[in-house]
Amino acid sequence: MVPTSYYVLLSAFVFAVGIYGVLTRDNAVVILMCVELMLNAGNLNLIAFSASFGDVAGQAFVLFALAVAAAEVAVGLGILLLVYREHGTVNIRKPSFMRW
Amino acid sequence: MVVETVAPAIAIVPLGAFAIILFGGLLPKRRGFGGTTSTVIGTLAVGVSLALSAYLLFAVWTRDMDAFVAAEAVWVDGIGEVPDLTVGVLVDPLSALMAFIVSLVAFLVHVFSKYYMNDEGETGLSRYYAAMSLFTGSMLAFVFASNLLMAFVFFELVGLCSYLLIGFWYDRPSAASAAKKAFLVTRFGDYFFLVGVAFAFAGFGTFAFHGEGSLFTVAENAILEGGTVLGLSAGNAVTILSLLVLGGVIGKSAQFPLHTWLPDAMEGPTPVSALIHAATMVAAGVYLVTRTFELYALSPTALLIVAYVGGFTALFAATMALVMDDIKQVLAYSTISQYGYMMLALGAGGYTAAVFHLMNHAFFKALLFLGAGSVIIAMHHEQDMWSMGGLRKRMPVTYWTFLAGSLALAGIAPFAGFWSKDEALLSAFRNAANEPLLWVPFGFGLIAVVLTGFYTFRMVALTFHGRPRTDDAELADEGGFSVYVPLVVLGLLAVVAGFVNAEPLGIHALSDFLGASGFYEAASEGAGYVEEFEVSLVLSGVALVLAVVGAVAGFGIYAGKEEPLKEHGGAVTRVLEKKYYVDHAQVWLAEGFTYRLSKVLNLFDLDIVDGGVNATSKVSLGSGDAVRRIQTGVVAHYAAIIVLGAVILGFIVGLAGGWF
Repeated sequence: MVPTSYYVLLSAFVFAVGIYGVLTRDNAVVILMCVELMLNAGNLNLIAFSASFGDVAGQAFVLFALAVAAAEVAVGLGILLLVYREHGTVNIRKPSFMRW
Repeated sequence: MVVETVAPAIAIVPLGAFAIILFGGLLPKRRGFGGTTSTVIGTLAVGVSLALSAYLLFAVWTRDMDAFVAAEAVWVDGIGEVPDLTVGVLVDPLSALMAFIVSLVAFLVHVFSKYYMNDEGETGLSRYYAAMSLFTGSMLAFVFASNLLMAFVFFELVGLCSYLLIGFWYDRPSAASAAKKAFLVTRFGDYFFLVGVAFAFAGFGTFAFHGEGSLFTVAENAILEGGTVLGLSAGNAVTILSLLVLGGVIGKSAQFPLHTWLPDAMEGPTPVSALIHAATMVAAGVYLVTRTFELYALSPTALLIVAYVGGFTALFAATMALVMDDIKQVLAYSTISQYGYMMLALGAGGYTAAVFHLMNHAFFKALLFLGAGSVIIAMHHEQDMWSMGGLRKRMPVTYWTFLAGSLALAGIAPFAGFWSKDEALLSAFRNAANEPLLWVPFGFGLIAVVLTGFYTFRMVALTFHGRPRTDDAELADEGGFSVYVPLVVLGLLAVVAGFVNAEPLGIHALSDFLGASGFYEAASEGAGYVEEFEVSLVLSGVALVLAVVGAVAGFGIYAGKEEPLKEHGGAVTRVLEKKYYVDHAQVWLAEGFTYRLSKVLNLFDLDIVDGGVNATSKVSLGSGDAVRRIQTGVVAHYAAIIVLGAVILGFIVGLAGGWF
């Protein structure tokens, strides 16, 4: 059996990739994907500990989280669509109308 | 007992009339009732009060009652040691007599008002009679007040009513300003009274005028036991309390230096002047001293100050009356002067003399004002005496009654004022033997007798004698029934009222009635004054001669004169006409001194207090302005800040958890 720490390390790695992507990329779609990566890093943790403790609740949580993430992505893409219509781009550094 | 019902009703009836007129008379015309109904209601209510107070006076006089509280209600419940605050009706000879005087004068003034006010297409009649009823009612309630707090409340109400009535013709700027002045000046005095009320409660724990634990008994015991009150010796505390109360008295009774409101108050309708001067507002001040006389009697210093204020005011005001051309102004200054006599009498321990003069003055001064009102109406609201003259033949009833009032005012035997003024001087004269400092106010009072005679008969000569100086004076005409009745009733009283207590003739009914010997004893124990006033015929004679000399001189100089004699006067006349510049001094005190001082003090407020507040807001604004720059609106920046925050948070948590 693979030790739990491997999963945790993998999860940390995925999370770090996600953060890196959010901070460095300009394209909103990519950023949204990176956010998904961070979310799934969390899910990975849940499953790993669920298996390690023999408790199914963690896996149930992950199913919920996936469903919620799907809905959230739908909303996020909807917003992006509007941003694109308004500004003709999905580069998040361009629109800055909500500033002081 | 009937008396217990009657006494509260005396004050309540006019107050009820006030409420009725207020709600009925001030409604829009179709729903309410007009001026005539208001007149009837107001006059009837005061008439009822007059009847009831006559009964009360009769009952107290014949049954020889002791003072008692006829009705009492708790206003605020006391807690622990603190006694209840009550509202009560105190019936004793003084309050019974005063209530009778007040309601009699008020009734006659109401009757006269029907002539003076109602004939001129006056629109504010309901307002007028509402205020008059409230005025009479609150004065009567003040007269019957059974404790200092209640007295203060109604004292203030009386002041309010005089404000309403002096400013009755509020569309005249002079009347509006006179009303304000009366209100503010008397309020300045009342401020001291209010402090006195608080002082009495804090120091002696009671307000009561009557009973076992009354203010006077408590104060007397405190002095006898030699205890301390609020950190002061009991004697000093009593003196301070008396002087604080005196502040209110000086304001209301228009004594120097707060007399300036009274001549200006002549802007009100003449019947109002009659009421204010004779029975209500101004009388309230002196009545307060007589009511608390037992307190003053405990303090020789306070008594002396009262005597000095009174004596000085008597002379001071009389000199100004000499040069006034407005008939009402002469009467105004004579009022101030006459109240000075009452204060002089009180300060010299002459309790009866003060009450006696208060009564006589109420009659003859109401008479003189109503007479002047009759003249003023006849002259179509001309008040300058140099425009009158020769009215004697055109207005016989007014003339003869006015003459009776003038003789009483001038203090010529056997008219009312002679007996009471004589007694006031006598009390000062007798006690000056024990207390040499009293010679000064006594001297003032004696000189003022000449001046009183002079200005009174100058007024009579200018108004009624000689030839008419204007067409109005030539065609002057007297009013009807509602003029004659008050004038004749008061005229008779001005002739006979003095015999109630004609000491030189051995009559002292009033003195016995008031139980004055008790007060003389109090004054002799407290201030070392004589207990018995031995009559001095020499003094009476001297005073009479002085009064006659003054009267003859005044009449002789002015009768038949056509033109004002101003140019002969010179500097003295100018000072008198400017009223000793007291008004100027007060205006300077307000504008030149207080206002400038306030402006300087305002700098502290502007620079330091406001400066602190403004600095705080400036710092907030500035820092906010700087910090808001991080709100760039770029999503990536927010994400970076969030991550940075999360890292720092994780670092801190780790540090606290001991991971490193």
